[in-house]
Amino acid sequence: MLKIEHLDPQVRRWLDWVVTTGSVLACLVLLWLRLPGMELLGVSPNWMLIWVVCWSIKRSMLQGAIAGVCLGLIQDGLTYPSPTHAISLAIAGVLTARLQKQKYIQEDFISIALIAFGMAVVVETIMAIQFSILFLTNQSPKTYLFLSDTWLYHQQVALSSAILSSLWAPVLYFPLNLWWERIRGIDESQL
Amino acid sequence: MLELRRWWERYSLRVGLSALAIATAWSVRQLSGAPVLEAYRWISQPFQPGVSQPDILDSAAYLEMQKRLVELESQNRQLQEMLGYAAAQSIEGITAPIIGRSADQWWQQVTLGRGSNDGIHQNDIVTGTGGLVGRVSDVTANTSRVLLISDPASQIGVTISRSRSTGFLRGQAENTAVMVLFDKSPDIRPGDVVTTSTFSQVLPAGIPVGTVTEIDFNADPSPEATVQMSAPISALEWVIVYPNSKDPDDFLEGN
Repeated sequence: MLKIEHLDPQVRRWLDWVVTTGSVLACLVLLWLRLPGMELLGVSPNWMLIWVVCWSIKRSMLQGAIAGVCLGLIQDGLTYPSPTHAISLAIAGVLTARLQKQKYIQEDFISIALIAFGMAVVVETIMAIQFSILFLTNQSPKTYLFLSDTWLYHQQVALSSAILSSLWAPVLYFPLNLWWERIRGIDESQL
Repeated sequence: MLELRRWWERYSLRVGLSALAIATAWSVRQLSGAPVLEAYRWISQPFQPGVSQPDILDSAAYLEMQKRLVELESQNRQLQEMLGYAAAQSIEGITAPIIGRSADQWWQQVTLGRGSNDGIHQNDIVTGTGGLVGRVSDVTANTSRVLLISDPASQIGVTISRSRSTGFLRGQAENTAVMVLFDKSPDIRPGDVVTTSTFSQVLPAGIPVGTVTEIDFNADPSPEATVQMSAPISALEWVIVYPNSKDPDDFLEGN
């Protein structure tokens, strides 16, 4: 069997990119799906957020922000671009990287679930704020939820999304982290 | 200068990659996710609902109802002709499978597995078993995205079939919607059937939407009724798309 340690560094880098973009595409597909156990009060896990958290947790704040902006723009394309999802996901990326989890906690599973929970609340709150600003400044889409409805709906969305995202986060984090750690390990040992 | 060059040598790859990633994401946004949607349809093709649902739709009860409807429609047409109305043409709809749900929590959308290749256009009317489901907001070659009537951004003019009281329907992000009535003391009671109204700028009149379950006469500024959608949107696997004769300029502004 071919081992990735023996691959040419250039090939290995390409493979790393393929795996990373492949995982983003997998998350995009999951966004549209409603499998059993993936839905709570009509809300499903925020897979874009889960990916941003997995990516940012062992990277710099800038890397987290760029990933958040990219995935946010993609999600805009899949739903409706106003208000944008890029701001909330970028902030989630920066905050996750800022936590510097690996410095303090070695354990992975429960902490990733907790971080995903917190970030889901942050992301949905920022979206609700954006909707409120759009409503108050009377911009397009003109007729979104009234202000009171937005915040009532926000409670429901934030809680369901946070619970589901935190439960599903380890599913994505475990394989991705294993891969990135392996690549990082090989790169460092060959330097 | 040398430092700048050294920095560039060290980080050029990262800068390039970041720029590439942002450019890709931006293009996906500008194209409304069209390439991703097409790819998703291709991947999900083996899992798309098979023949079971159309079989159910073709069940005896359905056919019986349809025959009665045809009978009533033809009677109606004859009566209209007697009264001098122009005869309405019956239009064939396009059957489309639902292949995806909303891609975030704030927008109530579904993705259909038929697109412009099958003759679907933006703003077409989407109905399911039971009544109105939504309108087509984006179309790619083989997929189309539908803004559901349960989305708060979707507002449509509706009327109570029995009393002709009019109002507009605002989605509530679930399977219910709120009908805001224009009249201060409307003739409305639970169980009344709600259909699209002739005042609607985006939809033709007479499409069934749902039934009234609750009425709040004291709501400010005008009475509000809770409407239960007749089409079970979250359980639907197939919908029928009809061309829309009314055509607002911009999709959301047209509400």
